This record gives sequence, C-alpha cells and structure tokens, in this order.
Amino acid sequence: MKRFLKWFTILVITFGVLGFIAFLYFIPPFDSIAPEEMSRPAAEAGPDLSAIADPAERAVAERGRYLVTIGSCGDCHATPGPQGPRLKEMYLAGGNKMIRKGHGTYISTNLTSDPETGLGKWSDDDIKRVLRSGLAPDGRPVQGHLMPWPSYSNWTEEDRHAVVVYLRHTKAITHQIPPPTADVTLTDPAAFEEDYGGKDYATPQR
Amino acid sequence: MIVHRPSSIVQRRFIVLLLFSCVAAIHAQPASLADGASLYQARCASCHGKGGRGDGEYSGLLNPRPSDFTSARYKFRTTETGSLPTDADLARSITEGLHSTAMPSWKPFLTQEQVTAVVTHIKTLSPRFASEQPRPITMGLEPPSTPENAEAGRIVYETLKCAVCHGIDGRGTGAIARMFKDDWGRMTRATHLTEPWTFRGGDTVRDIYLRFRTGMNGTPMPSFLGAATDAELWQLAVFVKTMGRKPLWEMKGSEVSTYYKDQQLEAERDLEKHGEYIANISGCTVCHSPFDDDNAMIEPLKFAGGRKFRIEPFGDFISYNLTSDKETGLGSWTDDQIKTFTTRGVRPDGTRMIPYPMPWPNYAHMKADDLNALVAFLRSLPAVTNRIPPPRQPNIASYLAGKFRMLILKRDPPIYEYPGNAGGRQ
Repeated sequence: MKRFLKWFTILVITFGVLGFIAFLYFIPPFDSIAPEEMSRPAAEAGPDLSAIADPAERAVAERGRYLVTIGSCGDCHATPGPQGPRLKEMYLAGGNKMIRKGHGTYISTNLTSDPETGLGKWSDDDIKRVLRSGLAPDGRPVQGHLMPWPSYSNWTEEDRHAVVVYLRHTKAITHQIPPPTADVTLTDPAAFEEDYGGKDYATPQR
Repeated sequence: MIVHRPSSIVQRRFIVLLLFSCVAAIHAQPASLADGASLYQARCASCHGKGGRGDGEYSGLLNPRPSDFTSARYKFRTTETGSLPTDADLARSITEGLHSTAMPSWKPFLTQEQVTAVVTHIKTLSPRFASEQPRPITMGLEPPSTPENAEAGRIVYETLKCAVCHGIDGRGTGAIARMFKDDWGRMTRATHLTEPWTFRGGDTVRDIYLRFRTGMNGTPMPSFLGAATDAELWQLAVFVKTMGRKPLWEMKGSEVSTYYKDQQLEAERDLEKHGEYIANISGCTVCHSPFDDDNAMIEPLKFAGGRKFRIEPFGDFISYNLTSDKETGLGSWTDDQIKTFTTRGVRPDGTRMIPYPMPWPNYAHMKADDLNALVAFLRSLPAVTNRIPPPRQPNIASYLAGKFRMLILKRDPPIYEYPGNAGGRQ
C-alpha cells in the first residue's frame, strides 16, 4: 500500500509537470486577441482633451497626442504592473527598466505633469531641448539608443511644441523614478546588448 | 550574450592608444587644447564623431546631419565664400546653437573658456586651419527695416532668382528644383523662408544677410557677392525677414485650425517628403537600419532592415527590408499589404506579428493621409538587396520559461537588441 502510494504520487507529479508544460506549450500567447483589441489601449489611455475650453489649444494638444501615440512614447514610459503595462491609470508615469550593457541601467522617466516627480517643473524649453538634442535640464546627455531622441529630433519645432502642450495636460501622477545607475558617457563598444524589462522600478513612496 | 570582439583587435587598439598617449605626452600641448579634446569627446563626439567626420553614433538619424569638421566647410560664417570661419563664428554656433536642429545652445552648460577650448580642438581636426587664414568680409551698415527697404528687397529677390530654389512664396511654390545635393552627396532641401525659427544660423536681419553675403559652404547655397550690391543684399534680408509667418506657439483662435489645414495641403503637395517625416518620427528609421559595433548606423543599409531583436519567449525577429527591392524588400508588396501590416500586424501570408518589437498597435492610429504618404516614401527608396530571415523560435526550454514568465507571472517579455546586420543570408 505504501509502495503504491509512493508510485501514485510520482505518477501524479509527473503528469502534473508534463501537463503544465503541455499547457504552456499549446496556449497561444496572443493570437486569440484581435488586432483591434490590441491597438485599443493606446487610443483609450491618456487625458480627456475635450475638457480643454480653448479650441485652439485643444487642436494643438490633439496633435501632440497623435505624435506621442505614433512616436510610441507610451511603450517605454509605461508603468509595468502584474497584469501587463498599466496604460490607463499610470499613463506615461514611467518605471520600466532598460539596460544597455556597458552603459548602465535606466528607468523610464515620469512624463506626467507632476511637479515633483514628473515634468511639472521643467520649462517648455527644457522639454524641447531633451527631445531635440538629448540634453537633460542639468546638461546630462541622454542615452539616444534607449530614449531615441535622435528620431524625435526630426520633429518640426511646431510639432515639438504640440507634444509639450499635450504633456502639460496629462494627469499628474506621483511616481518617483531613480536616476540612471551608471555614468551615461561611459561607453564600451563591445557591450551592445539592450534589455527592456517588465517590472515597475520606481522608488517606493513612503 | 555579450558580443565579443576578437582579442587581437582589442590588443591592437590598446597598443595604438598607448602610442597615442606617449606621443601626446611628448608633445606637451597647451592645457586648453587637451581640455578641449576631452570636452569634445564627452560633449560633441556622439553626434560629430570621435574624429570629427560628422559620423557619430547618432548622426545617421539626424536631419540635418552633424557637421563634418575634417572638411572645414562651415555654413555659418562672417568670412568670404569658401574661406574658413573665424574663431568667433565657431564659438557663436556653439553658444547659440543652430536653431531647430539637434545642435543645442551650449550657453547654459559650457563656460566661455570651455567653448574657446572646444573651438581650438575643432580647428585641429582639419589641416586647413594650419595653412590658411579666414578672410572676414567687410559689410555695410544694417538699413532700417522699413516697408520701402522690404519692397526694394522684393525686387532683389526677383532679380537674383531666389524663387528658383525657394519658390515665389518662400515655401517652394513654383521652384524648379526642391531637392539638392550637398558636398557629401546627401539630399538637402531649400529652406522654407516663411519659417524664420528654422533658420539655423539665426533670424535677425544681420544673420539672414550673412547667409547670402557669405554663402553656405558645403551646400548649394552660393554667395551672391557681385550679383548684387551690398546695400541690395541688406534690403533682400529685410524682405526675407518680412516673409516669416507666425509660429504655432504664438497663434490664437482660428489661426491654429488654418495652420493645420495649411500643413495638410503642404503634406499633400509633397507626399514623399511628408512620408519621410512620418518614417523618421514614428521610429521606422531607427529599427529598420542596422547598427555596427560602434553604435553607428550602417548607412548603405538605411531602411534595408537587418536589426536583430530577441524577445523571450517568441524568438529572434529581424527588422524587415523596407526598400523597394523586388526580391527581398517591399517591391512585390501591394500598398494594401504594407498598410495592413503596419496597422494590424498581419503579414501578406495571413500570419500575425506579435506587438513587439514593432509597435504596430500604435501605428493602428496613424491617419490615412500619413499612411499613404509613408507608403509613397517607402516606394521611393532605392532598392537594396538584403534578404531578411524569417522569425526564428528559441529553444524549447527558453520558449517555455519565457511563456511562464509572460502568461503566469504576467511580466512583459524582455526585448534584447543586437548590433550588426542579421540579414543577407538565404
């Protein structure tokens, strides 16, 4: 009886493990979701611009939202959560880890209008400068392969302005992002591999 | 998974470096030059390149391209055409920046001494500075910006045939050619004279005057010295200044909607240019152009794909060849197939792409006009043969581990990027 139980347990565990592996192997990770469903979150996230009273400002902000969407800002500046990126409630609040081997570890920054942890205290020129030339307000160079500012540098000055106007209308979210862990000017050409992670790395608020 | 260079190359580099430092130690250079060199490497090299050839790691994505200091052809000068710039000219470009380009104003970040040191270093990058002297121009006094002078300038605009390149309205309308090649063989466009904030060298009457008085070395913009008197060139500057329209950030009320309608018409007028803009700002250029070990774009393969992304658990994805090559590019795709893939991630054979690494769920929101322009631009790209292998699944263990991480732990899959061109194979 004891021997039977032992073998039975082994059998159950083996089947369980095999079954779990088969389950992992056969469930489709995304194919069951329609393309429209997958692209919907990008449209639904973000502030309600119809609340802006001045139609001129609304038009500019809408252009900014369009550029932020097709520029995929929200992909990297998303806050990862246990059920995937928290696109809606943490819109553009950052916290996603990105590693560039030999260049350091970066956490995507908080782009919301929060004055302490976001862009609230940055001047328009500060935001435009980082998008145009990859320089933070303190003059620190921004890693242009993780934050592709050389791409956004091609925005016309007026489109860049629209992006700034739009970012000013995002909901302020307090989400403290730690600074990069290595000097960004450090370069090692032999180390290229980049890693975009999937966990919220923001500093916990006390 | 770090890419290792052959050790012999590393050793050789080390020896060369060692030799260099010995030579540097023997030739005791002035302190400012050494300081300028290190400042240059820290602040300028990522765009202008370590050797100043304008080939830094970000240069491939920037438009206009960073200056090539080894050629010593500078656009923004107060010296005769073809001549070298003065130190003050170089310092001005650094402190003021070049408007609407990636070159920022360094005034907040560099002291005057540091700027001087960088200027001294930049001059060592071309042998011309050792053998030639800049020839500063002599210019008359700036006239007052009166309507009479502007009207006189308008006549000069006609006599000098500025409209041939810049258009009768300053925006290219009626221009014979809209695309030009600079001295490096790269396509460039005549400046829109109605948008003074994009005048790289500044938009004061004096700045504008200097551009046609001195010409812009390295570009098709010549000096008009001799074609008109100094006074006429000043009047022309006064006129060009009046062509400027109001920028978006000063517009109010209905001006904004008129502006956006105008922009749409402008985009329709030059579909390919607008498509190139969309390709640049939505990141097509970044991922569909492979990069070398020094992080610089492999220029002959711009838009020819080959950049490798590893996404656990889905495997290796190689960015596709977007050029119009029939065999390996988009040449045999229909417009609809390109649009369907861009906005829905569905390949011509009906299979679907995951939403990584190409963020097609974002492109699903692209406006129809922008999408049409993008297709028109991709069609205009010259064919480059670069055969891209289909996505490859990882080994079964990492596949299952990755799926566990993604489906059970609900983490996003990590994305790894690799240098070099992964295409070209059969």
